[in-house]
Amino acid sequence: MMQSSPLNARRAILWIGRLVLGGIFVYAGFSKLLMPNTHLWPMFMLKFSVSMNIASFAQQVQSYKIISAEASQVVAHTLPFVEIVLGLLLLIGWRLRIWATAITAIMVGFLAAVTRAYLLHMDINCGCFGTPEKLTGMTVVRDSAFTALALLMTIFAFREAREPHPWTKPERA
Amino acid sequence: MREDRVNRPRATAGTILLCLLSAFAVLVARATPQAEGVTDIDPHKAFGSKNAPVTMEVFSDFQCPACKTLFTSTNRQLMDNYVSTGKVYLIHRDFPLPMHAYSRIAARYARAAAQIGKFEPVEQALFQNQEKWEQTGDVDGTVAGVLSAAEMAKVRALVKGGTLDAAIDKDSALGQIYRVSQTPTTVFHSKGQTYPFAGVMTYDMLKQFLDQLLSQK
Repeated sequence: MMQSSPLNARRAILWIGRLVLGGIFVYAGFSKLLMPNTHLWPMFMLKFSVSMNIASFAQQVQSYKIISAEASQVVAHTLPFVEIVLGLLLLIGWRLRIWATAITAIMVGFLAAVTRAYLLHMDINCGCFGTPEKLTGMTVVRDSAFTALALLMTIFAFREAREPHPWTKPERA
Repeated sequence: MREDRVNRPRATAGTILLCLLSAFAVLVARATPQAEGVTDIDPHKAFGSKNAPVTMEVFSDFQCPACKTLFTSTNRQLMDNYVSTGKVYLIHRDFPLPMHAYSRIAARYARAAAQIGKFEPVEQALFQNQEKWEQTGDVDGTVAGVLSAAEMAKVRALVKGGTLDAAIDKDSALGQIYRVSQTPTTVFHSKGQTYPFAGVMTYDMLKQFLDQLLSQK
């Protein structure tokens, strides 16, 4: 008879990683689209709110002075949706290895950007979530912690697939 | 059990959907506009007809780069196409952020200039030369560049008088009521409804929005 495997350290990290990073990615994507401007009705108000939020986010992306204004617009119009989709996929747990790798790659990118801005003493907002938040040393520490968690989750997702817990192995007739 | 394992992804997806719907409901509740009357208007810092169908209050900080962008990209066309034509009543509000060393001083000078009927040239000079005076702190010199000696003497006297801070604080307090958390924030009033919007907008975006607001029945 098939049974659930016990919660070991590897599985605990996988669960924590999925819940924490999945939740944060979904929140980050939604907040970029719907905060701080949250007029959802009538439709033209919603459209204007989202346009305003994306325009503000594009400015924040551009303030890092890594990519051009046009590229910042592309990032601002795509990143929130990518974050929501990846966050949901991580929470659902389907094809975990692929999406965990994608999230780790994005987190490494975020960490590189905030670390560079911090080391250059750039006086900017981090643009991590919808509401304005000044980029400080704490932002770097927080992003480092999330990147480490994403990395561990990805490694463990691959290990879990290669060496499943004995209890979860399919029964032989 | 096998059945339990098969249903787990569905249960997870259901929980996620429920969480998303709850978050959406919270946002809708937060976003419900409330009708508010526009009060404490300094006539020297307000433009257009008081009877215009749309009133715009712009909470701004002279040292904030985004406020400069909003001003330079929208102000002229907004004044020509909506304020002068009686469609929009535009009110400038001070919201100097504590993180900016000279924004309150700049607000004092702009308000003093407004009292002698010279708000527009001073506002323009402050935004256009923002990068210069934020380095040196020479707000006085920037304002002096666009006023005559006699006007500048009046402005300096008003600034030294120390009575302007109360009006600036009143604007900031009003901003708190609208939950202004960043500059620029524009508060639109139309048909008894109030819509605060934070951030920079292009003139095209603003035009589309104002046209929709004006055509609303």
